[in-house]
Parts: sequence; C-alpha cells; structure tokens
Amino acid sequence: MMKRRKAIQIVALGALAPTLGEAVALPPGTAWRAKHYRLRFFTTEENELADQAMEIIIPADHHSPGAHEAQVSLFADLMVATSGNRVKARWRDELRLLREEAGRSSLEAALAKAATNEGRPETELERFFARLKDMTVNGYYTSAIGIHQDLRYQGNTYLSAFSGCRIKKIMESEGGETS
Amino acid sequence: MGGTPNYDVCIVGSGAAGGVVAKELCEGGAKVLMLEAGAEVDPSHFLSTLWPYQLPYRGFRDEKQALFYPNDISPVVYERSDPVSVDRIRVLGGRTLHWNAVALRYAALDFRTRSLEGFEEDWPLTYEELEPYYDRIEQIVGLCGEDDHLEILPAGKHYMPPIPWRCSEHILHRALKKMRIPMISVRKALNTVPYDGRPPCHYCGHCMDGGCMVEVIFTSPDCMLPKARATGNFTLRTNAVAREILVDREGLARAVSYVDRGAHNDKQAQAKIVVVCCATIESARLLLNSRSPQHPNGLGNSNDVVGRYLSGHQGGGAESYLKELEGLTPWNQDGATDHVYVPRYNQLERKKDYVGGWGIQVNYANYMFPHHATRVHGYGAAYKESVRRMQTGYLMLGPFGKIESRPENRVTTNPDKLDKYGIPIPEIHFRFSENDWALWHDKNRSLEEIFSNLKADVFPNFGSFPGGFGSHEVGTIRMGPNPKTSALNSFCQSRDVKNLFVTDGSCFTSSSEKNPTLTIMALSLRAADYIKEQRRRGEL
Repeated sequence: MMKRRKAIQIVALGALAPTLGEAVALPPGTAWRAKHYRLRFFTTEENELADQAMEIIIPADHHSPGAHEAQVSLFADLMVATSGNRVKARWRDELRLLREEAGRSSLEAALAKAATNEGRPETELERFFARLKDMTVNGYYTSAIGIHQDLRYQGNTYLSAFSGCRIKKIMESEGGETS
Repeated sequence: MGGTPNYDVCIVGSGAAGGVVAKELCEGGAKVLMLEAGAEVDPSHFLSTLWPYQLPYRGFRDEKQALFYPNDISPVVYERSDPVSVDRIRVLGGRTLHWNAVALRYAALDFRTRSLEGFEEDWPLTYEELEPYYDRIEQIVGLCGEDDHLEILPAGKHYMPPIPWRCSEHILHRALKKMRIPMISVRKALNTVPYDGRPPCHYCGHCMDGGCMVEVIFTSPDCMLPKARATGNFTLRTNAVAREILVDREGLARAVSYVDRGAHNDKQAQAKIVVVCCATIESARLLLNSRSPQHPNGLGNSNDVVGRYLSGHQGGGAESYLKELEGLTPWNQDGATDHVYVPRYNQLERKKDYVGGWGIQVNYANYMFPHHATRVHGYGAAYKESVRRMQTGYLMLGPFGKIESRPENRVTTNPDKLDKYGIPIPEIHFRFSENDWALWHDKNRSLEEIFSNLKADVFPNFGSFPGGFGSHEVGTIRMGPNPKTSALNSFCQSRDVKNLFVTDGSCFTSSSEKNPTLTIMALSLRAADYIKEQRRRGEL
C-alpha cells in the first residue's frame, strides 16, 4: 500500500516526473500534461484514495511502473468531472463507501472484499470495484507508461512493408502455405 | 420559382455513391453541383495516429472522429426500437472517410432470395447485369485481394497484391481448414502498391480511428472528386444541408432547397436532375421532408415505400487470445486492420430454419489497447502480468450477418421534432425479426464451434440481442420489380419522378451479409450510365 505521505505529495506537487522503466524509454514529447493538472472533481482525499486503490489494481512491478506513476487517478478525475451529475454522485458515494470499508480493516482488505464477486457483483461495493477497475484499465493502458513501457506496443508507426507472420513454427503448421 | 436550371445535375451527398455519380456525369459533360451537409476536412487534420495520451479524454469520447460527426446536423431519435444505432457521419466524403474499405461483390443468390428461398423480394436486376459495373468500379477504385473462385463471393480480374497474413490469421486458417470453412485474403479498397497516383499502405494500423491521412484507402474526396473537378464541370458546396427537394407544376424535381451552415440562411440549387446520395437514413429523411401538393406523402412516395424496409447488418463477435502466441516478445501486428475475410459458409451446411448468413471480418480493431483487460478477472501483479502476456495472442472475429428487409422497419420524420435548422429529424423504428434472431443464434453457435477448435481464451461480445447496423444501413428507398413495393426501378430512378435518382445504400432491395459499399458504387455507376444515355436521348 502506498504511504499516505507520498500520496499527499503527489497531489501537492500536481504530479511527479515520470519515472522511466529500466528497459524502455518513453518517446519524446509524451510527458502527460498532468504536471499542470488541478483536480476538478475529486477532493484531495478522494484523489489520494483513488490513487492508492488504483495502484493496488495495477501495481508497479519489475517490468513497469503502475497506476500511480501513470497518474491514473487524475485521468479518472477528469473523466468524472466531465460526466453527468449522476456519475459524479455515484463516484462520490462509492469512494466514501470504499473509505469506510477500508477504515474497518485496510484498503487492501476492502478491495479484496469488493472484488469477491467480480463476474456477478451484487453489493454496491462490488459494483464499484468493476467501475474502479474499468477506469484504472482505461487510464493505465492509454497512458504512455501503459502503452510503451508495460505492453511495449510496437505499432502506430510507418513501415515500408508489412511482413506478415514470421514465426516459422506457425508457417510450417500451415504446410508452408502463405497468403 | 421558375427560371432556367443552373446545373444539369444536383447531387446531394458526397460519399461512395455521390462521388461515383459526380465523376461519371462530369466526365460525360454534365454540369454538376454537389451539396454536402458536412465540412471538408483536410487529411492533414486527421487525428488517426495520435497517441491516446495526446487526446483530452484518451479517445474514450470519440475525439478522433469528432470532426466527422458535427452535433448540429446529426440528431436522430429511436422510437419503439430494438437497440440499434445508425451512422450519422456528416463530412465531405461521407463514410468513405471512416471505413475499413472492405469491398465485396454481392453473389448471384443475393439478388434472388424470393426465387431461391421464397423470402423477401428479388432485386430488379441480376448479378450478371451488375457484373460489368463491378468490373469497372473495381478498376476505378483499386482493390487488393485475389480471385478465390468462390461462388458465394464473386471476384473480379484485377487486384493489387493481398496483404500478408498475421500469425493469428494463419492459426485461424489452420482451424477453419479442419472445419472446411474457407478463409481468404480480404478484398479492400486499399493500395498495397502504388495505384491511381496514390501511394501504397504504410501499415500504421489506425485507419479506422480517424481516416487515412495519405490517400492509401479509397475515399470519395481523394479519388473521385478530383476527377470530377478536372473536367471543369464540377461545383462543390460544403456545409449545405438539404432541407427539401422542390418540384415544378408537373411534380418533377426542379431544385434543392438547402441551409448554408456558414451563412445561416436558406438557398436553392436549381437543376434538371437530382441525384440523392446522402445514405440510407438521410436520403429517406430528405424525400419524406419534400412534401408538396403534387407529392403530399413525400417525394417519390406515392406507394408509401420511402422510409420502409430499413435493413443493414447484425453483429456480435468475439475477442480471443491464442495460447500459441501469448507471452512472446511484442512485435508490430498493426498492419492495415483486416487482412483476411471469412466468406459466408452456412450455405454449405445442413438445412437451416432461417434465411441468410454471415461473413466474418477479422482483426479490424487495433492492437494498441488490451481489450481483454476489463474482462480478465482479478487485480494486482498477477493480473497485470496476465494482461501483458495475453496481449500478443490477440485475435478478433467480427461477423456481419443479414437482417431481414421488412416494411415495418422504417425511417419517418415528424414535423414536431426539428434540428437546429428547423428540418424534421429522422426517427428510427426497428425490430429484429424471427429470422434475424434465428440467424443470430446460429451465428453465435458457429463462432463458439470455431473457437472450440482454437486454443484460446475467448471473450464473446454476443450480448443479449443481435445489434445493428454496423454502419451498413440499407433499404428505405428501395428498387424492386414490383411498383407497389418499391420506390425505384433498377436504374435507381424514382418511379414517380423521372428526374429523381437515389443511388446510395437506401436503394437496396434487401441486404446480404456482404459489406454494401462496392455494390453501392456499382449501382451508382450503372445509374450514371443510364442518366448519360437518357440525357443523350433528350429524355431527361
């Protein structure tokens, strides 16, 4: 679990400079504008909670930074802030619910409880987990960190030719047949 | 009111149909005015290759396509409808600016469902009659692919080389071969070699995100309108929203009344002939809004057919992750969206309790986003690793199935529901039929069978209803052999108003499983030839 002091620091500074992964550098000009970002809907405390929860959902690992480094909570703030009142009210209520549940144990335990019936959520907390995870996924895998450092996506570039499948085993299994 | 028409022909709409008609008629010597409701968007302004993090909402609010879908002229309402959606693109070039470019001929049986299966109605023309126009339009447009000698998917003689297949597509092919289901290189209006002064594809993989910036994919503004313009006979007015078609005392079309979105005033374009090419929803809307004492039920609608027989494609595919490809070092799989196609195959199977079939487009979603990440359960380090590992195994199947053409499925307009310019907006009334449901269930069963032959994690997107229309709406001003149940003859000419033509997808008698654009263009070419001949004879 991320330390509270660090989480507050993130909000106070607007954003931390991106920390590059060991193996893959981000393309130039991809630093998100988050350093100028100011919260539009989440309170500081709500953003802190969302940030911590999102980092638990997609954590930093040996391969790449996680949701915290990718500033996914700020993406969430923007998306919620520009949504309708019903969506805003739901996020406010559900973050409070998560906080209350975490207060009874820990954030990790609260998320574990929320994720119990992921396929068929029944309680309000379980339904919130689905929304929180969707937002985390959407924010993380559309961030420079998610695309370039975690997935190491190789596309969206200009090629002089598209080579097709070059995995010998697969081509042989087709009987040497190619398109 | 009177006066000499300024133009020989006024074409309303600039997409696949309008582009063909404009080129052909201008080259034939006609003075042509084209009205387009949307704006002209220079390809240098397309946002296709921007990274998500360069967009305000990471692309989740369709920022890349916003230029093509202006709010002021795109409203639509759905009344007592099953959950379907219609495409409301409004831009110079229409849907050719934002398409996968899959270009398929209808088969002979697609024109004869009444004769062969006692279902719907036959078209008023046969495949053999349309074949020469398919041949011509394919050469004008330029397609990649090859002749696969399939009766269900007739081919032409001239193709650019096909796009090489991805590994996932070879694995799919291997499985389908065991099931005796054919899979072919896709036929697309995309350059794999230089063609018609345009370059070959550079495989950035994001053509469907927001348009092709380098004219590799066929579009009407890149490929047809320049040829029309080169004749000196072509005039284009963008931001011109057609309000209604005006008629003379005899009830013939004499002008198009339109709103100039820039000047915020109404104008008229007089012409001897009007060709409506605004796509299935808008074309019906325009004719229904063109009421006059001579045509109280809307223009060309004396038999109450206009707006009816709305059809299109049903969907519901699946995403899968092939075990054989999971966990490999990521490589560039983007390519040019679809590389292969699975033609309709259920006509080879056991007797069915429904009519029609489906074809399968493959891998038309891009590879940047891990689509499975919200479907894989769990969270934390193991979850993250799992998402990463699966991503290289991505294989997506996107079937498009036939929807029955029925009169009760229709577009109407209501004088009490107006857009910003006071024009009645379209209302969609649509219900899936028993045939649609039966086909959908069998399609889902078949997809499950295909996936059972692949070692993969599968995430079906079947939903709980067939879904529609995949931007492939057709019908609503249909041609047909029977004057009581059709608005047009086989040359896309109105039965009521001889100088009115409709050549977009709304003219289809019925829908097959095949993407409609190539047939729209072939029919437009045929209609243009007919107009030229009628003009030469002094009939129009």
